[in-house]
Amino acid sequence: MISLIQTRLKILFCLALCASLSLGYVSYSGWNKYTSMHESLNLTYSIEETVTSLKVNKYDKHLYKELKSTRALLEPKHRADALSDVIQAYADKSPWLLKKRVKHFLKNELEYRRYARNMMAYWQNRVIYFAALAAGSLLTVFLLMVLYIRYSIFNPLKDLARKMTDFLNNKYSYQFSVPDPNEVGQLHATFNALAQQVLSNMDELTTLDRAKSEFLNIASHELRTPLTSIKGSLSLLQSGVAGDVNDSSKNLMNIAETETDRLIRLINDVLDLAKIEAGRLPLEKEWVSLESLVNETITSLQGLATTASVRLEASKLPHLEIDVDSDRIKQVLTNLISNAIKFSPEKGVVNISADIDAHGSLRLNVHDQGRGIAPEDIERIFEKFSQATGPNNPLVKGTGLGLAIARAIVTEHEGHIGVESTIGKGSQFYFTLAHWRIPGQNANSGNIKTTQGAVA
Amino acid sequence: MKVFLAEDDANISTIAKMALEQLGGHQVTHIDNGEKALEKLIAEGHTYDVILLDEMMPGLNGLAVCEQYTQQVAEVRPVIFLSAKSQASDVKQFEEHGRGYIPKPFDPTQLCQQIENILSSKKNRSAS
Repeated sequence: MISLIQTRLKILFCLALCASLSLGYVSYSGWNKYTSMHESLNLTYSIEETVTSLKVNKYDKHLYKELKSTRALLEPKHRADALSDVIQAYADKSPWLLKKRVKHFLKNELEYRRYARNMMAYWQNRVIYFAALAAGSLLTVFLLMVLYIRYSIFNPLKDLARKMTDFLNNKYSYQFSVPDPNEVGQLHATFNALAQQVLSNMDELTTLDRAKSEFLNIASHELRTPLTSIKGSLSLLQSGVAGDVNDSSKNLMNIAETETDRLIRLINDVLDLAKIEAGRLPLEKEWVSLESLVNETITSLQGLATTASVRLEASKLPHLEIDVDSDRIKQVLTNLISNAIKFSPEKGVVNISADIDAHGSLRLNVHDQGRGIAPEDIERIFEKFSQATGPNNPLVKGTGLGLAIARAIVTEHEGHIGVESTIGKGSQFYFTLAHWRIPGQNANSGNIKTTQGAVA
Repeated sequence: MKVFLAEDDANISTIAKMALEQLGGHQVTHIDNGEKALEKLIAEGHTYDVILLDEMMPGLNGLAVCEQYTQQVAEVRPVIFLSAKSQASDVKQFEEHGRGYIPKPFDPTQLCQQIENILSSKKNRSAS
């Protein structure tokens, strides 16, 4: 339909352009005729004056010459002839004949003037008429151009833009239409190809995603079931239910049980990370008190700290509320604090503090007095299965996934996790949380200055 | 305490049974599939003090057994799920359908205590 309109528009456009050009030409030539008529009318006045003055002037050579040159300009022929007669009489210096010839010439000019005025009115009318027609057809040309541009460029572009927006908004019921064979059509065809490719990739991804999710479910069940039996059997054997156990057997069972626990933690971590990365662990966010979240985490790690002879302390925490999934943020904090404990020397102190950073985010810091992390290790410690190897560490070995999980959780909370460390002087791990408020206030991190004042 | 245990994995049920009977001194009835478990629960569910249901069983899973059992029986005994699933949505389902859940892998020496805890915490919650 649109292409039919376009073809008709093109024909109309050409016709209107030709019409306006020829009308313009006609009007222009009419105008030329009008102006030349006007000039010759002016000439009749000036020549009338000269010829009238002949009656009183004596013969003058210059005047004679001028009259002759003027004669050449006069048309039609009867005017030139009448002037020739006057010139002849003037040359002959015959006043009587001159008077007669002048009279005849002036009469002739008077008639010509009447004719010239009529012709001027005629050409003026024609010029106005054709100029109006030419202007009308030019206007038509302009309108047709506007319509043409609209139908063949703007409308298809708008249509394409709408399709692109739909596509971006995940309306995958995208309809592929046959594009027009022009530049905009080419653009359309390119987008169609692109969209088709994206759609086929999406299908592939959906299939992969489903397979991944299914794998996670099966893995959770299939990995945990045998571990339940192994852990259960070891536990029961140690409890003595199945009979007495001697010390060396007990020792071996201890090793088996510790490693089983480690395997369980590893599986939990791998599955956790896989779920977070697949976006299958939706955050259950709510406003919670920062102080209680930190204190509860510290309390739960007190046992580990005592075993390692490390003191846990929290610097005066601000009375703030944070919008987080508290179980997940506790998991992050637990991970950072237990790492700090593991790498602290005996009688070391692990300090937990909070402040507001330059971007207005709440920053939680876990500072230890360990041996620090070498600059080249800092980049990789947040990667999966990358552990800073500790000295002879008697404590529970990690899975190498803790920091990767912590980073995934913090990222889900729109925050950032990092570490500042100096070899020999300890490390400070930190993470930021963007959404916090003073209890009882609706304001989030909006007014940093005031809030910071209140926090201080 | 009389305990009903529906668990399809023979090893896990042996361990759980041993823990409950020898460590806790409870009396355990074990069934190894969902359909039979439901049948038995409908018939004699009221005689048990607590019902332990494995979530993943071939045929009828733990949640389905619990749903049909609670719909068909007037006097419902407390149900606790055993499950390797630990997602928030799963936990919510376990709490909605039963009294709570014990995550796998569990420590059999703690099993009796875990059951006690779930039973008493729910009692307290209903009391308040």
